[in-house]
Amino acid sequence: MTHETNLSHELSLTVHGMSCAACVSKVEKAALAVSGVSDVKVSLVAGLARITHEPTASVTDIQAAIAGLGYRAEVTADDAERYDREKEVRRQEIQRQKINVLIAWPLSMIVMFGLFQPMWIFPLFVPEWMHNKWLMLVATTIIVFGPGWQFFTHSFNGLRRGVTDMNLLYATGIGAAYVIAFINTLWPDAGFGGQGATFFETAALLTAFIVLGRYLEALTRGRASEAIRQLMNLQPKMARVVRQGQEIEIPAGSVAVDDVVMVRPGESIPVDGVVVYGHSVIDESMLTGESIPVEKKPGDAVTGATMNRSGAFKFRATRVGGDTALAQIVRLVEEAQTSKAPIQRLADLVAGHFISGVHVLSLLVFLFWFFIGYEIFFQPGGRFILSPYALAEVGVFGFALLLSITTLVISCPCAVGLATPTAMMAGFAKGTESGILFKGADAVEETTKVNAIIFDKTGTLTRGRPALTDVEPLPDWERAQILTLAAVAEKGSEHPLGQAIVAGAQAECIEPDDPDSFEALTGRGVRAAYQGQEILLGTRRLMAEAGVNINRLEPAAEQMEQSGKTAMFMAVDDRPAAVIAVADTLKPHAVEAVGRLQQMGIQVWMITGDNRRTAQAIARQVGIEHVLAEVLPGDKAAEVRRLQEQGLRVAMVGDGINDAPALAQANVGLAIGSGTDVAKETGDVILIREDLREVVSAIEVARATLRKVRQNLFWAFIYNVVGIPLGMGILYPFTGLVVSPELAALAMVLSSLSVTLNTLTLRRFRTSLQKNYELGIRNYEGQESPVVFRPS
Amino acid sequence: MSTNAARKAFLIYFSISLAAAILFLVMTFVASQEYLPAARYGGAIWVLILSLIVTMPIVIPAVKRREGS
Repeated sequence: MTHETNLSHELSLTVHGMSCAACVSKVEKAALAVSGVSDVKVSLVAGLARITHEPTASVTDIQAAIAGLGYRAEVTADDAERYDREKEVRRQEIQRQKINVLIAWPLSMIVMFGLFQPMWIFPLFVPEWMHNKWLMLVATTIIVFGPGWQFFTHSFNGLRRGVTDMNLLYATGIGAAYVIAFINTLWPDAGFGGQGATFFETAALLTAFIVLGRYLEALTRGRASEAIRQLMNLQPKMARVVRQGQEIEIPAGSVAVDDVVMVRPGESIPVDGVVVYGHSVIDESMLTGESIPVEKKPGDAVTGATMNRSGAFKFRATRVGGDTALAQIVRLVEEAQTSKAPIQRLADLVAGHFISGVHVLSLLVFLFWFFIGYEIFFQPGGRFILSPYALAEVGVFGFALLLSITTLVISCPCAVGLATPTAMMAGFAKGTESGILFKGADAVEETTKVNAIIFDKTGTLTRGRPALTDVEPLPDWERAQILTLAAVAEKGSEHPLGQAIVAGAQAECIEPDDPDSFEALTGRGVRAAYQGQEILLGTRRLMAEAGVNINRLEPAAEQMEQSGKTAMFMAVDDRPAAVIAVADTLKPHAVEAVGRLQQMGIQVWMITGDNRRTAQAIARQVGIEHVLAEVLPGDKAAEVRRLQEQGLRVAMVGDGINDAPALAQANVGLAIGSGTDVAKETGDVILIREDLREVVSAIEVARATLRKVRQNLFWAFIYNVVGIPLGMGILYPFTGLVVSPELAALAMVLSSLSVTLNTLTLRRFRTSLQKNYELGIRNYEGQESPVVFRPS
Repeated sequence: MSTNAARKAFLIYFSISLAAAILFLVMTFVASQEYLPAARYGGAIWVLILSLIVTMPIVIPAVKRREGS
């Protein structure tokens, strides 16, 4: 898949065969070395490389450079077919590693039991014929040259280009153990410890444990892009369009803009569009996380890959192919997958440079035990940990070599490389479930550090359009009577305040008649006649001009104005009748979201161009203490910077288009309510739904993800921190015990496994909003949650 | 990488590694302990292999960079 920007091209390659963080570094280095390539970002878990290059750079050269390392690089296709193909490749990899496991483990058991047959309780259940050096040699040879061969080819391909990876650690360890085993079997008097010190089980079990690790990795790695694949599979392969008056079925990819598409109940919608005929209810949960199906009528937008639940309808296609919402979301998630959090860059750096360091350490361990340690500390009764196998017959070379190999194997930083990307991928998937799109791993990490959050007022905290809030009639008038007359008077008005009154009346099931006459009085209000009554509705000035005494209405009007509302006076037949207030109203769940953020220890700010009094009134309603009022749109970014200079890490929540500078200035920009047109947004985090509680969810998901990253890194490093000294033989002088290479391999596999399993627990994570839904708690518009969220 | 650069890199890393292995051999004669020939030569080979693995990723990119510039 390629995209063109102004000056450069972007290429997306699917890279098969990467197994560790060092592979990432290798691929990045190789691709960067190609002339014209300016940037390379590789995701191990997604198996993707995103390459920015000049038009002069050859895609074939880039592919060849990566292929030269022993990996297969394919230009990423643009559609669901790619995910199906990737699934097939993953299935083959799982199958390959499964076969390796099925070969390596039974043969390793034969070698292990055969070797230990004369010892401990083994003679009781292991037949004597298994203790045969030729049988063990054949079994080990099959293991090393079968399942273990992949490590030799990968490391050789890398090494001849001057790059190293984990495979080299395995290849060195397995290779050395096998060569010694081979020599000791064929030439027992060669001086390498003879038949009492064969390393069959070392070579065999080392390979067995490592291929088991590879198998488990292959199983879990596939899940990373499974979420996207499933999403893409929601899009139907075929679409029914009306062309030249005929209904024909064509591939969904062939639908053109302006085609009229037909959808029946129970079918998925093939592309984005606008309903032109029919009504239906659509389940959009797969894209937006919104669990309640949405009603659609002519003029409403529908999104590809969502599910038509009830009626049949026709829609006009507006976005097709790579422009659909689904394609945009997939692209965004893929870009996020190849991004790297600062914490991950450190892990990759460690893992990438670790290999050479481990070999140096292994060499030092060998030299120490060869020249110093063996003579001083060697005890013939020394043993391997968790093994009945004594070291009695191992000479100085064999002993130093064993510890050298163990150091190589136990130092493998596989889990370090996996720790961050696996957790990040799980975090992206978790966010996508709720319609929260993180644009990268750094966005996740930054979101967790936020300690101040600024909400733009108009359109973010509030609906951004006035609504009827109060009707205060004088005692001789009924509320419904006043509202009816006001709605009649404003029915012909085009002013937003007038329309708000009409909408307010309609919301109370009052359908106003047309007035007998209507006159809009610019800047003052309206005058209308209805059923012999003259209605005046507007400002104090209008009332003064008409000679209406509004003294009795003033206290209520002032109170409304104190609350930031716009008060309008109403007179009927020149007698004061009521005061009506209209105001911008809070969005549903605004109070709940702000309260929850404050509970989380985050300072909540509101920014607006409104005057201070109106701003304070809205802030009071929503529970915000910190208000930035009278800020011009162009100055919002400067206000964000000012807070940052005070040491705060600021998140800005706003409209992704209008608040772009402020969103860009903030440490994290959260663009809210973008719907499914995510491509135009500027935020670091995109919230598809217009629900402010998703801001809380985004922070919760980010925190849970980073918590998982830290736990993973702990598990990854703890194995190495504890394992390396043990592998180097630190216990031996005191206890006579050493770690065998196969036990080191087991520890390394457990390290990767613990990281993988720990990441999988993130799938169980629920945001507080999801938990509330699961508990059956629903918050309705204007109500606060009865349970969890309360402003502190 | 050109053949010339590859040859140059090979000469450098192999020389360094061979030197390390020879130094190891010398040490086995100088050290107070008596070593069997198998331990001596086996150890030297192991030192050679590890030295190659350590030096190759350092030398090859360095030679490539020099060639490139």
